[in-house]
Amino acid sequence: MSETKRRAAKLPEAGQWPDRIAPWMLLAGAVLTTIGFLMAFFYAGPVNGAAVDGVELIGGQMVSSKLLLSQKIFYFHMPVAIVSFASLAFAGYYAIRFLMTKEQRFDTCSKIGMEIALLFVVCTMVTGEMWTRFEWGVWWTWEPRLTTYLILMLVVIAYFVLRSAIDEPERRATYAAVISVIALVDVPICYMVTRLIPSSIHPVVLREGGMSADMGMTVAVVMAGMCMVGFGLYRLRFRQVRLAQRVEAMKEQLED
Amino acid sequence: MASGKGVDVRTAGGVALRKPSTFQQYKTLLRKDLEQEFRTKEMLTSMGIYALLVLIVYGAALGQTAQALDVLQVAGGLLWALIVFTSLLGLNRSFGHEKEQGCLEGILLVPLDRSVVFLAKATSNLLFLLAVEVISVPLFYFFFLTSVSPSESFGLIVAPLFVGTVGMAGIGTLLSTITVNTRGKDVMLAVLFVPLIFPLLYACASATTAVVVGSDGYLDVFFQSLVLAGGYDVIMLLLGWVLYDFVISA
Repeated sequence: MSETKRRAAKLPEAGQWPDRIAPWMLLAGAVLTTIGFLMAFFYAGPVNGAAVDGVELIGGQMVSSKLLLSQKIFYFHMPVAIVSFASLAFAGYYAIRFLMTKEQRFDTCSKIGMEIALLFVVCTMVTGEMWTRFEWGVWWTWEPRLTTYLILMLVVIAYFVLRSAIDEPERRATYAAVISVIALVDVPICYMVTRLIPSSIHPVVLREGGMSADMGMTVAVVMAGMCMVGFGLYRLRFRQVRLAQRVEAMKEQLED
Repeated sequence: MASGKGVDVRTAGGVALRKPSTFQQYKTLLRKDLEQEFRTKEMLTSMGIYALLVLIVYGAALGQTAQALDVLQVAGGLLWALIVFTSLLGLNRSFGHEKEQGCLEGILLVPLDRSVVFLAKATSNLLFLLAVEVISVPLFYFFFLTSVSPSESFGLIVAPLFVGTVGMAGIGTLLSTITVNTRGKDVMLAVLFVPLIFPLLYACASATTAVVVGSDGYLDVFFQSLVLAGGYDVIMLLLGWVLYDFVISA
């Protein structure tokens, strides 16, 4: 009895300490990302976008070497992408925990991690597409990073389609965990394959590395903000789902 | 234990039993699938006809442009599209009848390692897919490539076909075990299968195109793609082997 109690105490549950800071984290994240947004335009200096070789038609006009304003998207694109990876890894971690213990709570955690990941993956795709449109002059190209991200997004969507197609909670949890483990392995392979196989069709995109101090500062502010937003959303959603589950359990108890 | 005829076991009551080896279990499961297929010919006919129909659709799609378009460049990709759609159909079927006739429950009652079920099922799926490819690839050649003369290296196409089919059968077996228990299983399998198979598809299409076109330095691309596809196969088969126990017991 005490053993089960001790195990239950260690499980994530609504009302534990992270719930108290979650709303504040969300608020702080919102403030920081707003500050970051302003910094991107007023603090970080203009940077040459992707190297324009000669003259190219971008956005309907001829461009030689231009200080592209679209580079500002980078300050949001990269932090959002990193948070999406982090929440995917988080969801994968809980999926493995679930397979090891068969504890439904971990499945809830994994599912909510995936939800947050989907949100950030979609944000990454949208910002990425806007950037691609103005830097490379196309909405879409089958470039390794884009391809991998598209596949990643499809897998995350497939995860939720699968969940909605199964009724029994145990079976749904197991299948969902298995799919997230496969996805976790598949996505890096996808990146490697699309990157390593040479293709004459894709333009090789060269970008000079390194960021200046003001750029790094802006990215750091947005990154911190996005991490807080991700964490806050996760925790609030977790609380909501857990409370709903507990209400359901109570209803069932009352009916008996 | 996997080497020979199994081991003799004597129970407490003094009854002599022969515990079959893992390899014997594998052979029995595989033979069951093959016999069932030889009697009903359900999967092979449906997959074969479907492949032929996809080829006819290709005919309509390419009919307008065949003169101007370099068919060789797209042939590899089209061939893989054909294989993906055909294998989707077959994989959907492979667990369907097990489920309908309650065969899966019978298998699960037998005290055997669940990964043997995975390997046997993946092997039978692999054999069916290869059988369909043996018919559909020559047909593809006959319909689309006789007029454009592919390079002499065309024979090497066998390697990516085999490597790709192994991977598809492996991951497809795992996924079809999952989707057979879901609502709308046909669509569900496609939704999971196509994104997860994408790296393999990409590598195999690249290797196939390299040998069909046969331009300069094609062997480098061919081997690199093939190694990547092989790596995908190894990782995904191992992963399937590990995860299958969870999937089939759920």
